[in-house]
Amino acid sequence: MCFKNLPVEFDSAGKPFLRDGVGDPYATATATAPEGPRQLTSDKIEELLKRNGHIKALDFDPVTRVAGALAFHTVADFEQRKILEARSVATLFRGYEVIMVGRDPRDAIFITSRACGVCGGVHSTCSALAIEMAIGCCPPPQGILVRNLALALEFLYDHPLHLHLLAGPDYSQLIVEPTNPSLYARAKKTEARFTAIHGYRTIADLMVDLNPLTGKLYVEALHMTRVAREAYVMICGKYPHPQTIVPGGMSSTINLTVMNEMFLRLSQFFDYSKKLALIWDDLTEFFYEANPEYKKVGARRANMIDTGIFDHPDAYDATYESADDWGNRRWATPGAIVEGKLVTTDLKKINMGLEEFVEHSYYEDWTGEGQKPHFPTDPSGNPLSPYHPWNKVTRPRPQGQNWKEKYTWDTTPRWDRQGMEAGCYARLWNTAVAKTMPESPFMESTGHSLKMRVPSGALPETELEWHVPDVWNAFERNRGRAYCMAFTTLIAFEQWRSIMERLKDGDTTTSTKFHIPKRGTQQGVGFWGAGRGYLTHHLTLDRGAVANYQIVTPSTWNASPTDRWGQPGPYEEAVLNTPLLEETTDPTKFRGLDVLRAIRSFDPCMPCTTHIQSEGGLITREVNTCACGLDE
Amino acid sequence: MRVIVGGIGYPDLCDYSIGIEVQERLSEREAPPNVVVEDLSYNPIAIIQRLGDEPPDDRFGRIVVVSAVKRGDRSPGTAECYRWNGVMPVDEEVQRAVTDAVTGIIAMDNTLVIARYFGALPDEVVVVEVEPETHEFGASFSPGVSSAFEKICDLVWSGATDDKFVAGLPSRSLALTAVPVMRFG
Repeated sequence: MCFKNLPVEFDSAGKPFLRDGVGDPYATATATAPEGPRQLTSDKIEELLKRNGHIKALDFDPVTRVAGALAFHTVADFEQRKILEARSVATLFRGYEVIMVGRDPRDAIFITSRACGVCGGVHSTCSALAIEMAIGCCPPPQGILVRNLALALEFLYDHPLHLHLLAGPDYSQLIVEPTNPSLYARAKKTEARFTAIHGYRTIADLMVDLNPLTGKLYVEALHMTRVAREAYVMICGKYPHPQTIVPGGMSSTINLTVMNEMFLRLSQFFDYSKKLALIWDDLTEFFYEANPEYKKVGARRANMIDTGIFDHPDAYDATYESADDWGNRRWATPGAIVEGKLVTTDLKKINMGLEEFVEHSYYEDWTGEGQKPHFPTDPSGNPLSPYHPWNKVTRPRPQGQNWKEKYTWDTTPRWDRQGMEAGCYARLWNTAVAKTMPESPFMESTGHSLKMRVPSGALPETELEWHVPDVWNAFERNRGRAYCMAFTTLIAFEQWRSIMERLKDGDTTTSTKFHIPKRGTQQGVGFWGAGRGYLTHHLTLDRGAVANYQIVTPSTWNASPTDRWGQPGPYEEAVLNTPLLEETTDPTKFRGLDVLRAIRSFDPCMPCTTHIQSEGGLITREVNTCACGLDE
Repeated sequence: MRVIVGGIGYPDLCDYSIGIEVQERLSEREAPPNVVVEDLSYNPIAIIQRLGDEPPDDRFGRIVVVSAVKRGDRSPGTAECYRWNGVMPVDEEVQRAVTDAVTGIIAMDNTLVIARYFGALPDEVVVVEVEPETHEFGASFSPGVSSAFEKICDLVWSGATDDKFVAGLPSRSLALTAVPVMRFG
């Protein structure tokens, strides 16, 4: 059974239908929130704060070392060393959904790119995919391969940036030694297991090189972002906002010179990705062995969602009808994982289960009493919720912050009404379990792990194996992201090899002509992925212009607030499960390190670099918003 | 001595595009062989890598940067020119600047701070700040800024080509918040 909350069943041919006898199938009562941590009521929190000196509000505003404007409010019990309340606050309005309405769809490729200053290209491509589906246009094989390669290169920029510039310092000597001196003392005596690959004799040696600004791993990550960026601009013209992505492929010129230059850069990631995977293996196992309580830092149910990425040129046809087929032939398999079990890899089912709610967000609901959704079904006739992005209308409503009511600019996406998490590790997990990835001499999906044979560089050829973890927490997110470096490198290498094969046969065609229809209504969706995971752009065209445009990013899922059924959003849930493991007993010296580790492990990306018009002016840079209870 | 002149800003952001506009205007002037004019409106990490690519024995000795800087106590279009005294913020602020840089923020203060921290900045840093007014989408400039362009361009040009002028400039700290912030709620 794919859905357990939505009343969607399947006939003997696998065709979905709404269960008989359900009056309002998408009524909010149609869900049973799973067991898990819950927010206390505001009254209860107030009472606890008044009665107990050891219970204190702990606010992070802004959360540093994340991309963009995120604030986080917690109430912590310093005696029990646990978090009682956790509220995730996206402090800026993104607004692309509003900006896009009425425009030529081709503009979306360039405008939505600005949703992110790191991964603009993923939005451009996602937009191109949505347009292709809407207008019925499919790129040639070489175009699909070059697009895949571009995506992989973005991740090769993105993952080191997160691992060693943003999250890495949380595990560095400069942070660990003062907060957990006994742990650091142990690190000095603990020998690393993979010295032969990464070169660090002890865990403390490794921690020193994770130090911000001065650590070798920090500086090396800065350098590797350059290598990836150089490779990217060869086929995309510019970074982070590419100029060569079009509906129907890529407008890049591909030849042997470009591809040889590309290989010079790509091959630098062979050794680097081996090193990263084993550094994070060593770090993770050290923390687990030193104190098993670390397994609870950032822990939450293994509920994940991903649309898969990297199309197979023989499979992708840009149609919604065949999305299950081409989705399952992607190099990274789509999937929804609930409680650690993969429940579907079908893109149409992933799409059908998607809803977006706004109870605790600064938007108005768009589903009025008796109001019929624009699209009760998807283009294949499968039922859709009125809360589905194709039916959504973005109505921003700035107002005061109130934990009981509205407190964030993020919405609440849910799949089958469950809180799902997005991340590059979700694609690793789906691919490992589903066993549908294309055959490769470098990668093997075993059903419980993903084997990756990384070619030799200065280091010998090395087989890495990422295993589906027994626990799901901050450390596994980071470890998964580190293994994603090898996964992405190998996928990039596979695309590079295929492009070269086609070039040998004289195939330099990377795009196909397209035509924007000026009549009727068309629908499309881009199923794609950012460095941080899941990405969809849902598009409706009317007489050649954008009638509706909806973007759901990984951080839309992860930073989402508590939902109408009381389920906290993924950041919130992870923080509510996090024990406070700093060695100090003085709350004034407390740094909230484990809370920050939990949040940063998701690789938050709040799109702060966007330029948003409001009555008060424009926003171009981060905002500090006191998150500590601005109830009005 | 080799000199690099760089405009820093966002495109199509009215007065906050001053740096780009000045750089474009100066690119049309005939520069002495030792002066390079470039758009430096991109990731500061990429800028330090670009500066680091210069031959070790012939690096730039001076950088002149021009950008909108809101101080609020000057009339729009007011241009101030000074030598940066090189006073750096604490390491936490440098880290923040790096985070901003790698995640897409383009700002003069971040660029200079990061480039100085990683040793990529020329020894002499001349800053031309221009007080902006309008902060919204668009390719136009406010009247105060529009009428000051020639003066601003000349000021930047003097910073690039006139050693006596540079020697006479005051030495100052950077304004570490180049762009205004706002909040809802």
